[in-house]
Amino acid sequence: MNLIKGFATTFKHVLEEPVTLQYPEQMKPFAERFKGRHHLRRYDNGLEKCIGCALCAAACPADAIWVEAAENSDEQRFSPGERYAKTYEINMLRCIFCGYCEDACPTQAIELGHEHQMSFTDRRDAIYTKTMLIDPVPEGADGTPREVEPGVFTRAIPDMPDAK
Amino acid sequence: MAIPVKDDTKLVTVKIDDKEYQVPAGANLVDLAKWYADNDIPVFCYHPKLEPVGMCRMCLVELGSIMRDRETGDVVLDDNGEPTVRWFPKLQTACTQTASDGMVVRTNTEAVDETRENVLEFLLTSHPLDCPICDKGGECPLQNLTMEHGPQESRMIYSDKMHLQKHVPLGDLIFLDRERCIQCARCVRFQDELVGDAVLGFHERGRRLQIITSSDPGFDTYFSGNTTDICPVGALTTADFRFGARPWEMTEIPSISPWDAAGENISLSMRLDRDFGGRAMIKRVMPRQNEYVNELWISDKTRFGHHFTRSLDRLVEPMVSFGDKLTDQSWNDAYKAAVTALEGASGDVAAIAGGAISNEDLWELRQLVEGLGGSRLGAWPPTHGGADLVAEVGVGQDTNLKELGAGDAILVVASDLEEEVPIWRLRLKRAQDRGAYLVVANARPTRMEEFALDTQRNDKPVEGAAVRYAPGEAAAAISDLKSSNKDVYDRLADATNLVVVAGADGLDLDGNKALMQACANLLIETDHVGKANNGLMSPIPGPNGMGLHYLGYTPEVTQDIVANPPKVLIVAQAEPAEDDPTATEWLSKVDTVITLSLFPDRTTSYASIVLPIQSFAERDGTFVNGERRVQRFYTAQGPLGEAVPAWKILTTIREKLGQGRAKLSAAAVMLEITKNVDVFAEMRYKNLSQVTRQFPEIGGDDLYYGGTAYQNRGGLGIQIPSAADSGKVKAGKVASVKATKASKGELIALPITELYNRSNAFMPSGLVHARVAVPYVTLSSSDADDLGLVDGDLVEVSFEGGAVRVRATVGDVPAGVALLPQHLTDEPTPIVPTVVTLSKIAQPVLA
Ligand code: SF4
Ligand code: SF4
Ligand code: SF4
Ligand code: FES
Repeated sequence: MNLIKGFATTFKHVLEEPVTLQYPEQMKPFAERFKGRHHLRRYDNGLEKCIGCALCAAACPADAIWVEAAENSDEQRFSPGERYAKTYEINMLRCIFCGYCEDACPTQAIELGHEHQMSFTDRRDAIYTKTMLIDPVPEGADGTPREVEPGVFTRAIPDMPDAK
Repeated sequence: MAIPVKDDTKLVTVKIDDKEYQVPAGANLVDLAKWYADNDIPVFCYHPKLEPVGMCRMCLVELGSIMRDRETGDVVLDDNGEPTVRWFPKLQTACTQTASDGMVVRTNTEAVDETRENVLEFLLTSHPLDCPICDKGGECPLQNLTMEHGPQESRMIYSDKMHLQKHVPLGDLIFLDRERCIQCARCVRFQDELVGDAVLGFHERGRRLQIITSSDPGFDTYFSGNTTDICPVGALTTADFRFGARPWEMTEIPSISPWDAAGENISLSMRLDRDFGGRAMIKRVMPRQNEYVNELWISDKTRFGHHFTRSLDRLVEPMVSFGDKLTDQSWNDAYKAAVTALEGASGDVAAIAGGAISNEDLWELRQLVEGLGGSRLGAWPPTHGGADLVAEVGVGQDTNLKELGAGDAILVVASDLEEEVPIWRLRLKRAQDRGAYLVVANARPTRMEEFALDTQRNDKPVEGAAVRYAPGEAAAAISDLKSSNKDVYDRLADATNLVVVAGADGLDLDGNKALMQACANLLIETDHVGKANNGLMSPIPGPNGMGLHYLGYTPEVTQDIVANPPKVLIVAQAEPAEDDPTATEWLSKVDTVITLSLFPDRTTSYASIVLPIQSFAERDGTFVNGERRVQRFYTAQGPLGEAVPAWKILTTIREKLGQGRAKLSAAAVMLEITKNVDVFAEMRYKNLSQVTRQFPEIGGDDLYYGGTAYQNRGGLGIQIPSAADSGKVKAGKVASVKATKASKGELIALPITELYNRSNAFMPSGLVHARVAVPYVTLSSSDADDLGLVDGDLVEVSFEGGAVRVRATVGDVPAGVALLPQHLTDEPTPIVPTVVTLSKIAQPVLA
């Protein structure tokens, strides 16, 4: 009797759909809040959001972020305001994907996306540079650096809504 | 300033937050609360080095005094038997209060807390939320005080904030952010009160009030960088550092300014940088507090002139020439070549060392030369000869120029201190503000002379006198002061303390030596030697001019080397052929020149072996400043290319020559010096790095108090006692000086110093280039008329060994002489008074 019961269970599962996925051909959907590799965002006009303040680097518990800042000019503008990130690097081998950088960023320039498939055969490849991290220029907008009218982009931190 | 107390200071009892303290009468309340009660009263406009103005109201406290009966003078007691306190009805600004007996202060009450919060809220109404991109962010007094005492939430409408210009250049070195300025006037007061270059000011009123500069070029002073340290917000930033790093990312390495005899204590802020191959580089140079030396200040040359340490022009590989051209070689081959050359000299080896080389290098160099049987050790440049007298009657132990004041006197002879040692000029001018009598003697006008002739400063009378002597007659002018200028002489002689600064401006070595002797005699005669705040100083070029003396290098020997060139000459961190037009002639008579150099230059082109050395930032070492203080600097930056510290090169060569085992560290070299040179007996590295508590106490959590100058963690240094400190000294004979004579149609060019110049070490700091003067020669209007010159004419100045083309300017100089600044032209100009001829060059007509 027990034997039949056992076989019945086995056969029942044979007929069920399998739970395993054919990764990487098939993927599971992500939770919206899943934290994968970072993106440096741009404004709709194509300017970079990052102002090179290095607060993300300061917040990072794994010391994975390296920022060097420089000064914008109207002839060579990367971001609004005076300051931009000349060098921006994240070492993905150090990063623990905690998202503190995202929290620390005053301009919401750095965001953790959904990509998670990162493997390297050389440690140096694990360092993502600014060119790798930054979003493509939105359609119809200009890239950076670019020449702009003087006196237009004077604020580093865009106006924020006031607390109600 | 009455803190820290001296024996004769009157003490009074002050009660702060219910505890009693014995404090010096008259001390500032903010200072004394911090010093005695460890109570940091928040301030914005007050600074311990500036006069209080009570502008910002951040320091409000409850103030009262213990009531006394008018008749009897007894303390009035209340019902509980406690003394009754009469409180002021309103809060008072602590920064404008001075300690008096029975003063009672409360800083921890609700009223005080609320006021602090309100003042901060008020300041923040028009302050941008800029901290992420603000260079002060992280070390900002406003940020810190807001966190500590400020309102938790803003009641302001963010989009309603006032927007002002954020990028206003005040000259090319300092930028102003008008939004961030909280109008404390610290920068304006620093320039007016401390520096005496009143180039900043307030413009407009109320909300439109802004800082402006009134000079051309903007913010024209040698001290502008200091305003960025004391500005309590990020309103003033330096063009050099702007956005270079966040304060918390940098490592501070104690160091010593590599430029002049003051030996300013500095802190090198180091951080890795991709532009420097991912290695640590100097991001900024900050002052490091040493109340004996530079207090909280450094000159702009020290602050902005650091770029040579990583200049691409630097020598990074040893070079050897086998007959024709210098070619890059390995260290091994270079050492082999050096050893062969030195062994082949059969003892005819001499060395010339510059004033920027450290004591460790000097010691190893001396050992090397003496080990080979040589004895000639020369100091470069051979212009300043009084180091022996500074060692004898130099300023006494524990001298501190900030203690000079009323009743004291200062004599500055033959020196343009503003250009030669800016920090001395700042501190001596300050002494005059406090009441010291300032006498400036020179053959030409200088900035210091302007101060001496001032009668009024910051609404207070000041005193001084100027003495002009005929060119070259400096020594006679001082020796004869008693007869020619009795009033001035008496003031100097009767002064409680007398400090004399004597240089070589417009003099040759003999003239300078005679002058130094005359000054030493004056000090001895009037009994102003062997005690603190009395004695002789000299702006010998380079940070280690006195080290050269103590380790046996003299300018007289340099003259001898010039006259009788040796077989092998080692030129250590000196650039004779860059400085002196006659050097090429005698250098070419030396068989083998070995140089230890930072840069390839005219001198290295005469060398057959060129060894690259490390700059002050890459290594450990010590300098002896003009007040004979031995000070230590530390390794901050990694080596550039294959450069090696000079002492290490020399100790290695010595090992290869069989002169004993090579030493492994600069500390080991210093240890050997302490055992062999008496005056250095106490100077082990450990002793040099000791620090004692200094007033004002800066660099703690309360950056609002002293600014961002760094606390001293690298050592205050130790002063070598002068001979007069330990015994009697006798006046010497002043040698008579042969004057340089010019015949008709000729002038005598007096070399002068410009702080900003085109020397190899200063050139890499591109930011300051705009401030380097266009090469010029200054002559009297009568000579100009004779030569048919007008202001701005292009002239060729010819002298023995060369000629330069410069602009003629007509100025207040005696007839027969022309002022020819050094290091402004690409070609060298005379280093001592020299006969020159001037001829006008036809101006090319621009189409
Ligand atoms: S990503 Fe954000 S936090 Fe990081 S440097 Fe850029 S602006 Fe600052
Ligand atoms: S001055 Fe201070 S408070 Fe103002 S933006 Fe800069 S860091 Fe922030
Ligand atoms: S610039 Fe700075 S130091 Fe000058 S008044 Fe404004 S806040 Fe004060
Ligand atoms: S009013 Fe006292 S510190 Fe400004």
